[in-house]
Amino acid sequence: MSDNVLRVGIGGPVGTGKTSLTEALVPIFMAAGRTPGVITNDIYTQEDARHVRRELAGVIDPERVVGVETGACPHTAVRDDPTMNLAAGEELLERFPDIDTLIYESGGDNLTLTFSPSLADVFVFVLDTSNGEKMPRKGGPGITESDILVINKVDIAQYVRTDLSVMERDAHAVRKGKPVILTNSLDGTGVHRLFDTILERWQLSRGEIVA
Amino acid sequence: MGSNETAGIAQLLVSLQLSDSAFPSGFYAMSHGLEGFAQCGLVERDSVFELLEDMLVQTVGPGDATALARAHGVAARQDWDGVTELDKQLFAAKLSSELRVASTRSGRQLAEMASETFAGTPGGDDIATWARRVKSRLTPGCQPIVTGVCYAATGVPVAQAVVSDLFAFAISYAGAALRLRLTDHRSTQVLLRRIQPTIEVVAADAVARPAADIGGFTPVGDIMSASHERAEARLFTS
Repeated sequence: MSDNVLRVGIGGPVGTGKTSLTEALVPIFMAAGRTPGVITNDIYTQEDARHVRRELAGVIDPERVVGVETGACPHTAVRDDPTMNLAAGEELLERFPDIDTLIYESGGDNLTLTFSPSLADVFVFVLDTSNGEKMPRKGGPGITESDILVINKVDIAQYVRTDLSVMERDAHAVRKGKPVILTNSLDGTGVHRLFDTILERWQLSRGEIVA
Repeated sequence: MGSNETAGIAQLLVSLQLSDSAFPSGFYAMSHGLEGFAQCGLVERDSVFELLEDMLVQTVGPGDATALARAHGVAARQDWDGVTELDKQLFAAKLSSELRVASTRSGRQLAEMASETFAGTPGGDDIATWARRVKSRLTPGCQPIVTGVCYAATGVPVAQAVVSDLFAFAISYAGAALRLRLTDHRSTQVLLRRIQPTIEVVAADAVARPAADIGGFTPVGDIMSASHERAEARLFTS
């Protein structure tokens, strides 16, 4: 796979907004002159792939959105044995050689999910405010080791008894300086910053490889 | 297995590595048709063993295992055009799209990974040669063919190679059965022990079967697979 293809892995618990974040990011990538393809990892259906195709109708060719079955375990499909995801990515690039950005959305999982470095250049882990104020303190490799931690659905924090300032403070504390970004993927809050940070992390990782 | 066919420790270790359930071959995402049968209500807990037995005897043995055995011999002579013909033959024998896709997705990734894994070790050059052919799309890249090349290149005898790949299949099937709640952690191990005599027979048949007979005849399995690839909900790629 070409070094010029940016591969973004988006993981996190069920229902935190990984799909809506993907849908918010695709138009931003396109506006920046990049050409994305999307690979969703559905646990049991093609629901996420269909959702992305439906929400981005007219924005991205539906053929550039594919779903991959995980064999019942999202961890395995993006970390221990990413074979099917790697193959799906290669096939997408063969069909559409102009694609220069692959967004891999993991199936909803738990706090231990991480992406294989062979699959994703930049690993984004997504929490949302309804997970509870304590969630960053619980830690786990997704929260502490991901390249970027997103806390999504900032608009509903007040309705789910979450003090966003505590959640953000604790997230920074456990991540030791790595980025934490607050978003509302439905109105676009924080999504441009997420996009910029993804590119920054990618450039950083490429620099490390070159060095 | 005769004494002249007895593998050395080095070959045993290679076959243990390639058939390990943790080996990233893509098998984890496959149920090899089991999910299709389960969705149609054609397999229950008490018949999951019989279905595995049928699959080994009727499908995997005449198809994948025989192709692996024949590819092993041809690859040992470094006849890469001959291996390509076997690859195309096996690809054509897989009737449903999902089985072709699953096999080639697995095989293509396996070729690349094995090329890296065995680089600089005995057999590494032959594996790299085949991996380049697969990557350039001169050949479909079915998983059993890539595996056969790996075993031939590393000097694993053909009978051991076929048994190893059949057992890897059985482990993968049993893992899928566990996740589909058709077995539990204990009955999975009972199933894997009980199936071993069948694997011995199927492997011996595959080693003796000529390339012209690569295939198998399982109309119900093909219908289940065709139904599965259009299923509204599924956990597995096959």
